[in-house]
Order: sequence, then C-alpha cells, then structure tokens
Amino acid sequence: MKKFKVMVIVCSFLLIGGLATIDSSLAAEPYHLGVDLAITGTGALYCKDGVDAIKLAVGEINAQGGFLGKHPIKVFIRDTHTKPDVAVREAKDLILRDKVRCVLGTYSSACAVAIKPVCQEYKVLHIPAVSNSENITKVNFSPYTYQVVPNSYMQAKAVVLGVAELAKKKGWKNYVTIASDYEWGRSTQQNTVKLLKQFAPEVKLKKEFWPRLGETQYTSYITAIMAQKPDFVIGSVASKDNVAWMKQAKAYGFFEKIPYPGSLISISELIIQAKTLTRGLVGLCRAPFFAHLDVPMMANFVKNFKAKYNRYPSDWAVMEYDAVYALKQGIEKAGSIDTEKVRVALKGTTIDTCRGRLFFRCIDNMLSCSSYIGVVADDPKYPFPIYHDVVEVKGPDSWRPEAEIVAARAAKK
Amino acid sequence: MDISLIFAQFLSGLSRGMMLFLIASGLSLIFGVMNILNFAHASFWLVGAYFCYTFWYLMQDFGFGMWVSIPLAALSLAAIGWFIEVVLIRRVYNRDLPEQLLLTYGLILVIGDLIKLTWGVEDKLITRPPLVARPVFFFGMPFDSYFIFVILVGFTVAVGLWWFLKKTRYGHIVRAAVFSREMVSALGIPIPRIYTGVFALGLFIAGLAGAVQAPVGSITLGMDMAVVVQAFCVVVIGGFGSLLGTFVGSIIVGEVYAFSILFWPQGALVLIFIVTAFILIVRPWGLFGTPMRA
Repeated sequence: MKKFKVMVIVCSFLLIGGLATIDSSLAAEPYHLGVDLAITGTGALYCKDGVDAIKLAVGEINAQGGFLGKHPIKVFIRDTHTKPDVAVREAKDLILRDKVRCVLGTYSSACAVAIKPVCQEYKVLHIPAVSNSENITKVNFSPYTYQVVPNSYMQAKAVVLGVAELAKKKGWKNYVTIASDYEWGRSTQQNTVKLLKQFAPEVKLKKEFWPRLGETQYTSYITAIMAQKPDFVIGSVASKDNVAWMKQAKAYGFFEKIPYPGSLISISELIIQAKTLTRGLVGLCRAPFFAHLDVPMMANFVKNFKAKYNRYPSDWAVMEYDAVYALKQGIEKAGSIDTEKVRVALKGTTIDTCRGRLFFRCIDNMLSCSSYIGVVADDPKYPFPIYHDVVEVKGPDSWRPEAEIVAARAAKK
Repeated sequence: MDISLIFAQFLSGLSRGMMLFLIASGLSLIFGVMNILNFAHASFWLVGAYFCYTFWYLMQDFGFGMWVSIPLAALSLAAIGWFIEVVLIRRVYNRDLPEQLLLTYGLILVIGDLIKLTWGVEDKLITRPPLVARPVFFFGMPFDSYFIFVILVGFTVAVGLWWFLKKTRYGHIVRAAVFSREMVSALGIPIPRIYTGVFALGLFIAGLAGAVQAPVGSITLGMDMAVVVQAFCVVVIGGFGSLLGTFVGSIIVGEVYAFSILFWPQGALVLIFIVTAFILIVRPWGLFGTPMRA
C-alpha cells in the first residue's frame, strides 16, 4: 500500500511537471516571421524603411509578450537582391529551415508573384506590402496571400480619374508612357492605358517606352519622348530607377515643358530628392503618413519611428508596419497562431491600420486601402516637400470589379 | 523628323557610349596587357561611385565638391588596384582562365559585402552643382549639360590612353608586353611592376567611370550588374585588348541604343545583342581585335 502511495505521488508529480512543461513550451513557442525584401538591388531604397518598420512593430508587440501575449516574434530577414529566383530561394529557406509561419515582403512584383506559389505550397501566409502588381491577387489566386498595398489597378485607376479630369480641363489629346520593363511596370502601364481609354476616350496613346529595370541613363528616352511632343506623359518607374529618371529629366527641363501627372513619387523620393524635385508636380503615392496623422495608430507610429530612427517613415514603412499589425489582428481573431486558423480569420475581416479601419475583400484578399494624389510643394513642418491638395481615392472606389476578376480567372484556366 | 532631334539623339547615344567606354576601356586594357579577364571590373566601377559620394559628402558645402571628388575617387581606385594586383592578381597569372574567373568573381562578392558594411544599403545621391544641373540647347533641343561633361571625359580618356600607349616609353613597354612578356623581361624590364601599373591604371579608369556616373542618378548596390553585360558587349564588338575597338564599340552600342529608342523602343536592348552576336559570328576577335586573341 505504501509502495502504491509513493507511486501515485511520484506519478502525480511527473504528470503535473509534464503538463507544466507542455504548457510552458506552448506559452514560449515563438512565432517565426519571415521577411523577404530587397535589402540590395533596385528595391533597396524602399525596403530599408520597410525592414525598420517591421522591427519597430515586432518590438512593440514583443514588449507585450508577443502575439496573443505569449508568442514572442522572432524575425528572420532575407535579401532578395530584387531578383525573383533569389526571392524564391530565400522564401523556401525561410519556410524549410527557419520554419516561418508568414513571409512579409516583397519588393518587385516579379518577386511577389514568384514566391506566392511557394507560400501556398507550404501553407504559409504571404503578405506583400511593397510590391503591388494586381496579378499577385487577381489571377492564380492563393488563399494564403493577403495584400496590404493598393495594387497596380487601383493606383492606375486613381491616376486615370485625376488625369481624365485634367485632360478635359486642359484639352489634352495625346500622351506617351514610360514604364520600367518588368511585371509592375507592365501591369501598371497596361491598366492605365486601358482605363484612360475608358474614362478619357478622346486622349490617344502616341508611343510607349520601356526602359529596362536598373536603367541608369535615361537621356535617349527623354529626347525621344520630347520628340513626340505629347500633351502629357504617364510614368511607371520606381525606386532608384525613378530617382535617376527624375533627376535626369529635370536636368532637361522636362517637367517644365511636359506635364507629368500621377507618376509614383513616394515619400522616399520626396525625402531623397528634397532639394531637387520639381515643385508643382502632380504625384501619386501609396501610404503618405501626413495624410492620416488624425488616425491615432499613424500618429503613434510616426512618433515612434522618428524617435527610433531619427527620420520620417516612407510609404513602405507604413505598409510593412500595417502588415505586421494585420497579422497580429488575424491571430487575435483566430485566437491562435495556427496558420490555417489565421488565414481563415483574416478572410474578409476589418482591421485597424495606420491608414484607418480597412477590410480585406473576400474575392482577392485585397485590403481596401486608398491611393493618394497630390501636388508636390514645400511645407514648413517638414525638411522635405510633401503633397498638398491631397486627393484620397478609396480602395472600394478604385479596385477592379469582382466580375472582371472572376472573368480573368476563368480565362486563365 | 527634324535635324535637331536627330542631333539630340546622337548626343544622347554618344554620352551613353562614352559612359560605356569609360567602363570598358579599363576592362579591355587589363585583358589586353595582362590576359586577365577581370570579372569584378564593374564592381570596382561601383566602388568608384561610392568613393565619389564620400568625398562629395565631405565637401558638399563647397561649390567645387563634385569636381574634386571625381579625380579623388579615381586615384583611390588606382591605389586599391595597386594593392589588389600585388596581393591577389599576381598569383593567378599562370593559372587557367577558370581559376582567374573564380578569383575575380569572388572579388565581386567580397566587394558587394564590403560596400554594404561601409556605406550601408541606402541609396546615395550627389547633388550636381548648378553649372551641370540645367540643360544646354542645340538647335533648340535641350540636352543635359552634365552629359557634355561625360562626353568630354570620355574623349579625354581615349586620347590620354592613346597618347600613353603610343607616345610614351612606358606605353611602348606595355604594348610590347602584350606580344611577348619573355622578350620584355629579357631586356631587363620588370614585368610584375608593369602589370601592377597597368592594373592600377585600369582601376583608375574604372574609378573615374564610377565617379562620373555617380551624379547621374542614385548610387546603390547592384548597379554594377546592370552595366557589366553592356560593357562586355562593347569589348566583344571592339575586340578584347583593342583601345580603338573599345572606343568604336562603345559608340556603336550607345548610338544603336539611342536610335532604336527613337524608332523601335521595345527592341533597344535586343538590337545591341543582335549586333554583338553578329560580330561574334562574322569576326570572333571583334572589329579591331586580332585573331591571335580570339
């Protein structure tokens, strides 16, 4: 009997100890978060801010114990070199070696499109927050991909609405396009041309120019465009290519001669070209912090980002920060870090972001985020020009109709 | 199509060609004299751009900052070239081509990481002085005044190299070394020192090219990979080791690119490769190369 009692006590201790161990291991299970961004290469200009914002968000969440207050986030950052093959290799490595449950990224839509099927195959969440080709979510749909950046269609439509208005006012009849020759450039240019045909049919496309991604010298393009004598030019050039293009075009007096409305001039360009950027340009951006300082989350983010990094956050920082918090809210709604549960929880859900309360559309997991158009002008509050007269084109007013997405997917099959 | 446009496009092609010449001439010189195919040449070009940024950053309050930074960057690269030749390159002269390529390819990776450690991953931007920040007009067409400077530097380097190789004693020795190292050595001329000088000169030109490129756009990691292919096209068209060939090849590539943008924008890059492939088939040693080198 005594032996039996001892055994019961020992077993009880073992059981309690075991349960405690299991419980504590559950509590301590970190959430492995992968980041697949272009630390080097064409996209480096945008991605450094993105990485810094992710680190800031992770630091804030970890200060409260991590996701659900008990899953500290461990971040694994990889460099895609802005190359799709490298992005795929790194995404696979993040998934297989580092066991990440979610991959945040990516710069270059080609990279995003390339890693989407990898994440789907391994059932890992994928949140693109910089790259924005609509093909990331429109066709070959992956239920694991949630996009928190206004896509190329939404941005094109926002530009077109503004340009159509200007064309009517100014009597513009023709235009040319210049777009970087890769997934995003092609997708944005094609959407813009198609939508302009629809909203301003009197305006005709004269010629298209396709500088390769990574082009360093635009002189031949500039003179060739000027030779066309277009009423206006639509540009889809991003990151360091955009800096080179704008710097060289300005040296030609290009912007004084030809209207250049609605090209991508993100906060990065506003900051880096503060001294040289032509004032009065009508630009487009994806998530300007100054447009939402009335949202407490944005105000806090800007304050904390500035305190930590001693600079203002770019669009890319805002969107990567939102991506981390979108994931957090998905996990909270699911009550678990289990990827399948989080994926289902995010479907159609409304989340708080720096850009206000937004929702994921069910058909394509696209966040209902806005595009922003404004006039580049100096502002005494900032050491760089910002947008004045900002027009916010809401996501639901600019995204592709669901019927067209269904048709595009059917055609793809 | 009016003459002013044709001229503007010609100038544009010429400036692109001169930029390529600055990159390719050092590459061609090193291969021509030392028989080393320096795969890392474009990486040194990029280092030149970063050096230029650093010097400019230190002197940005002065109007002459950019003008002084460019030669300083070139000289810095010459010093680096001297060091690398003595420490690394000298050891692979008698090795097979794959081993030389492996070494210079390894240098690309090392240089990439060193740039990351030294300058970080953020883009660097040089603000041009007012003199070269506005357009000049030819027949009523504007042209970026900075590229006039680029064209002048390109021609100066071409003439300077020609003068050096044809008119100076040291240049004669270098040219003689191309044909027979043994004979030059037998005359009591120290070949290693000649090679060190040539490698340093090649990197001086690479540094100059990088520094001249720096104020054109932003300076960022990966830029080197974008230009290296076109630089190789230039030396293939002109003929490896031929200065005149490199010069003509650069102008061909620049002008083909510029005018195809005008007439067939989608095919600009394709045309360059078609020209390169055609020359490789018809004249494998390039327009001004020698069959011996083919």
